[in-house]
Amino acid sequence: MSRGGANRSGPARAALGIAGLLLFLCAWQAIGYYRLAGLSWPPLTDVIALLADPERWPLLGRALSATLAAMTAGYLLGIVLGLGAAVGAHMFPIAHPGTDRLAAVVNSIPSIALGPVFIVFLSRESTAAAIAAAHAAFIIYVAASSGLAAASRGHRDLLVVLGASRLSRLRHLDLPASLPSLSTGLKLAVPAALIGTIIGEWFGAPRGLGVLIVNAMQNFQIALLWSVVVLIASTSLALYSALSLLERACYARFA
Amino acid sequence: MNAIGRTAVAVLRNGWGILLLIIVWQAWVTAMNFNAIVMPRPLGVLQDLIGFPEVYWKNAVYTIGAAVIGLVLGMALGTGLAILAWLSDVLEGMLTPLTVLFSSVPVVTIIPIVARLLGYDFSTVLAIVVIICFFPAFVFTTSGLKALPAGADDLFRVLGARTPARLLRLALPAAVPNWSVALRVAAGHAVLGAMIAEYLMGTAGLGYLFAETKSDFNMERAFGATAVAMVVSILFFAAALAVERRVKERWN
Amino acid sequence: MTAAIHVDRARKTFDLGKGKSVEALAGVSLEVRPGEFVAIIGPSGCGKSTILRLIGSLEEPTAGTVTIDGRPPRELAGAHRLGVAFQDHALLPWLSVWQNVTLPLQVAGVKPDDAKIAALIRLVGLEGFEKARPRQLSGGMRQRAAIARALVLGPEVLLLDEPFAALDAVTRRYMNIELQRIWTESRITTLLVTHGVDEALFLADRIVVMSGRPGRIIENLDIDFPRPRMPALMRTPAFHALYDHLADLLEPAAAENEPVAGGGES
Ligand SMILES: Nc1ncnc2c1ncn2[C@@H]1O[C@H](COP(=O)(O)OP(=O)(O)OP(=O)(O)O)[C@@H](O)[C@H]1O
Ligand SMILES: [Mg+2]
Repeated sequence: MSRGGANRSGPARAALGIAGLLLFLCAWQAIGYYRLAGLSWPPLTDVIALLADPERWPLLGRALSATLAAMTAGYLLGIVLGLGAAVGAHMFPIAHPGTDRLAAVVNSIPSIALGPVFIVFLSRESTAAAIAAAHAAFIIYVAASSGLAAASRGHRDLLVVLGASRLSRLRHLDLPASLPSLSTGLKLAVPAALIGTIIGEWFGAPRGLGVLIVNAMQNFQIALLWSVVVLIASTSLALYSALSLLERACYARFA
Repeated sequence: MNAIGRTAVAVLRNGWGILLLIIVWQAWVTAMNFNAIVMPRPLGVLQDLIGFPEVYWKNAVYTIGAAVIGLVLGMALGTGLAILAWLSDVLEGMLTPLTVLFSSVPVVTIIPIVARLLGYDFSTVLAIVVIICFFPAFVFTTSGLKALPAGADDLFRVLGARTPARLLRLALPAAVPNWSVALRVAAGHAVLGAMIAEYLMGTAGLGYLFAETKSDFNMERAFGATAVAMVVSILFFAAALAVERRVKERWN
Repeated sequence: MTAAIHVDRARKTFDLGKGKSVEALAGVSLEVRPGEFVAIIGPSGCGKSTILRLIGSLEEPTAGTVTIDGRPPRELAGAHRLGVAFQDHALLPWLSVWQNVTLPLQVAGVKPDDAKIAALIRLVGLEGFEKARPRQLSGGMRQRAAIARALVLGPEVLLLDEPFAALDAVTRRYMNIELQRIWTESRITTLLVTHGVDEALFLADRIVVMSGRPGRIIENLDIDFPRPRMPALMRTPAFHALYDHLADLLEPAAAENEPVAGGGES
């Protein structure tokens, strides 16, 4: 009876969620089957058939592993850069405003403009990972910065009174206190890094899901185009969910 | 004199990173002796910006238009759907998993699909911005409508408030802070999303300018387009941030 | 117009999930006559708030009935005839004091009478703070704004759940005197939950003592000090005698948690 109360039981909510999902998939199938959106919208069954076709697996597998490799490299590099900058700014407060501004400006560089820069400074092959790293680094930096500032004044005072050095305060208080926020950042950085990788691949990577997208689009391979997007979405969702678990554990333990 | 000194210190404190970035860029290009076709110098880009303002201006207006219209539409759609979901438990139950699913999907990858559906023109750029802005608006507004001050829900029930009063006087005002966060997130992405869409399939705009000039090896203009896009994007973000600050102040 | 409250063998069990549940109230019966001021005291967690929430239509009893003038509380709430102040003030942070006090009228769709609202705000001593936001007020001032809001509809039943718990002793006493004055003028049926035995004695026509858990009523004490009551009342032997009696009734529950050898028998 009360609106916005979210007072439905667990099973009922799950059933509604599944119903919503099924409705979405049915709508997809119907639009594709009856050509309601033209030839560019394939029925769901076509996409599933393509993804389930073993003959396609080598092609998709090669592209997926190339994208995953570039993304992982960029993601890890992004963590190192973002976390490093946040800890540095935290330890040297005088540098903090400048680091914030730099991060904001670097973040506002359109990813498509990073492509040519990285191609010149690095190489065609590493451009995808580099853009992924740039995307991830910013999110990690923001999350880590706010996390490092999250410890309570009382705890901080306590450690100062106990005579803890800057470094041991970082180790015993600020870093643990930053873990919840950081874990959220780690989670959000996954789709961001994946986007970065795909955009990077558009700048002439030899293989990868981004390359497949562009090829499929140019050759009007509609089912392939949708299949690759579904593959990317599923990858993103799987990694995102895994890191959500990590996030939940961090909040349970440290928040 | 003193005032100038203080300003200089402030600029250095806030801007050392950006200055460093520009200096490293200039030094690198000079040291490697890059041709301007490969990698322009900061000064060359600045000259082109000052020399041909109308080229940038025309395309910037196009991109800003797409970003603003898309932002407004996306925010309106996301907010409206969040309110509908608040009104109907069934709708909310059906939408929640779907939005979680979609908000983890890289939107940029569906640009080619949207382009094939809507055509290689402004409507695709607009649709992408709308989609990009929709998700934060929906997700943040949904949680905001439930972030009620302690005891307020009980109070409204005892007062015998009906659904319209609860929505207008309690849930919607309570959602404003979250909504302003959504606005900030969406504003930051709107310009950059529009740029990527224009780059891939636009017929005008800063992303298109970038793509065109890059393939003509006019890197100075390509970088000029980038610089303009950055300024626009930062302005969008700053405006939304100012809104958010005002809201936080008022809403506690 | 004031109303009678009728709680008849009300039980309340909360489902904690995983097959567990907690019995908050084990068959509580309580009659409040129209215009009566009843205070409920009892150890923490004994179900005082639960009773108030049942009467305020915020919870349904697991068994038994709760009625106001013979009708379910929900109807009174729906007709905008209930006034409440909770322990935490529940002021809306985005509204000013004036707007917070006016809120119940707006929810009821009644046109606010500016003079009446100004009078209410003056009554609770907040004049000059009409435009202030809750965060700009002290804890006590917020609580007073909440009281003004509870009164603005001219309710038939006033439910107060430890409304003065956050106040210092001086402000609290002042608020007690003010509340008595307001109540004497309006004679609203009032149910006050409090931890302050002296507060209950000073204000109430009747004090209900509860024991925990599950919550039940162990004493129903008429307090017939003449009104208006003055602060000097609190220094009389009669007051002290009743105070000691009530304090002893509350004692065993405290001893339950901290057993002290050979102590606490009366
Ligand atoms: N929503 C709820 N869900 C589960 N248990 C509840 C809920 N509300 C109250 N309880 C339980 O019911 C019992 C009585 O709670 P109640 O809030 O009525 O106590 P109280 O007498 O008001 O205590 P206090 O003086 O501390 O405010 C407690 O054991 C509490 O844990
Ligand atoms: Mg209570």
